Amino acid sequence: MATQAERVFVLPGDEIPASLIPSHPKRALKLGPGLRHMPPSELIPTVAGELVTDHKKNSIWVEYNGGRRPGPEYYYVTITDYNPNAILPQLAFEMATKKTRPQLTHGALVYARVCLANRHMDPELECVSPTTGKADGLGPLVGGMLYDISLGMARRLLMRKSVEEGKVAVLEELGSAGLAFETAVGRNGKLWVNSESVKTVLIVGRAVKETDDDKLGVEQQKKLVRKLIKEMS
Amino acid sequence: MPREAEPSLNERAFVIQALQEGQRLDGRALDQFRKLELKFGDQYGVADVTLGKTRVLAKVSAEVTAPYTDRPFDGIFTITTELSPMASPAFEVNRPTETEVLLSRLLEKTVRRSNALDLESLCLVAGQKCWSVRVDLHVLSHDGNLIDASCLAVVAALRHFRKPDTSIEGDVVTIYTPAEREPVPLSWLHSPFCVTFSFYGDNGEIMLADANLLEEQLRVASCTISLNKHGEICQVAKLGGTAVEAISLIQCASAAVSKVKEFSTLVDLKLADDIKRRDKGGLMAELSAENER
Repeated sequence: MATQAERVFVLPGDEIPASLIPSHPKRALKLGPGLRHMPPSELIPTVAGELVTDHKKNSIWVEYNGGRRPGPEYYYVTITDYNPNAILPQLAFEMATKKTRPQLTHGALVYARVCLANRHMDPELECVSPTTGKADGLGPLVGGMLYDISLGMARRLLMRKSVEEGKVAVLEELGSAGLAFETAVGRNGKLWVNSESVKTVLIVGRAVKETDDDKLGVEQQKKLVRKLIKEMS
Repeated sequence: MPREAEPSLNERAFVIQALQEGQRLDGRALDQFRKLELKFGDQYGVADVTLGKTRVLAKVSAEVTAPYTDRPFDGIFTITTELSPMASPAFEVNRPTETEVLLSRLLEKTVRRSNALDLESLCLVAGQKCWSVRVDLHVLSHDGNLIDASCLAVVAALRHFRKPDTSIEGDVVTIYTPAEREPVPLSWLHSPFCVTFSFYGDNGEIMLADANLLEEQLRVASCTISLNKHGEICQVAKLGGTAVEAISLIQCASAAVSKVKEFSTLVDLKLADDIKRRDKGGLMAELSAENER
């Protein structure tokens, strides 16, 4: 704790000497923001800032900066239903400047990378590589369909050799069967599929979901793909 | 109150487009239900219903209490629903969401107010003692169409339930333990089931049966029809949403009749299976204190 010309600065968890706490003969002590009362009589600051007291009103609080985040600079992104929203700075896109940033509406989909995940803080996302300034495939996803898959399935699909190591051959099989589609897999258990034709998207989605739900092996996956293609054509 | 994450615009656009081409995401026909499973527990009055990834569990219990003063000849029958946070992050304990309120209201209208359970048969001593039957419904997993699954679970559990046998001599009521006398089933009058339809498109021209959670979130209107296998409608609920053509409602009703017959057969079949499973060595007929009518 530093004392400087009667200004007292505190850090979270500091002890506050009793001499600094105002004592009024009649009024009850009022606690302002940034302080927590630990019964019976201890006061603990929860933020870093200047300790201010008002002897007339018999109150004490901590003045601090922060707690405010400029609103329009960020997009709020749902990673899963179970997590608090992540933030995506509007300038974290390829070639984004104040004037050319992408305009995303409520409900838009983005393919993003988590660049900051600290405990007790909202995670932060980016759609651009900070070293090269290239998107590398990240960015807003237009059209297509989003499927929920298990986290394990997402990891298997993201493996470098997903067929050999992950034992997922459906996407390759569907591709070699002549279907043209593109996918994006998220670690949060989301699979985005896009194609010119609605039927192709449906086949791809069902193939991956059934592989996931029924825990199909490579041979069974091939059989499933043949069955689905026959069904839909 | 935490809200469910809304589907993205991409999902919204795609599902509607696929429906307009007559396709559903999981490849079902528009009027096809997901795989429906019904299991009974070891105890009497426990039913576990799985519909696709939706799962609900109903448990029936009974105790002797004093009847309501304004209804001295009737027993007490309550249905309580619980949507736990386990089923969806949008559910909180002790804070009913709109889904939960609508669900318990519909079950109330379907099962209780259609007199499926004969309340007078629950009376022991008029104005003093009666049975209080209570159904607890737990939603274990929520993937759409809770109403149909819950109603089936409640009806199946009530039909599976056995309450302790009683005898009355003068003013003395004796309640027998299962060891003394075989418990007796409730006096059940008819089995109502709910069938819910979801509507899509600008004028609700596309009609879906058994919508999953995503489809439910995207629908413009829904309609729940409760009826029994004889085609007697207990209630029709179309709560808000886009107005639909009268013809669609008639189509819903006729589709509901055939679906309810299926439900009814399924419950009958499973109940018969369960009785067979319990009736080891054919002792049940000897243990029963009921008279042949």
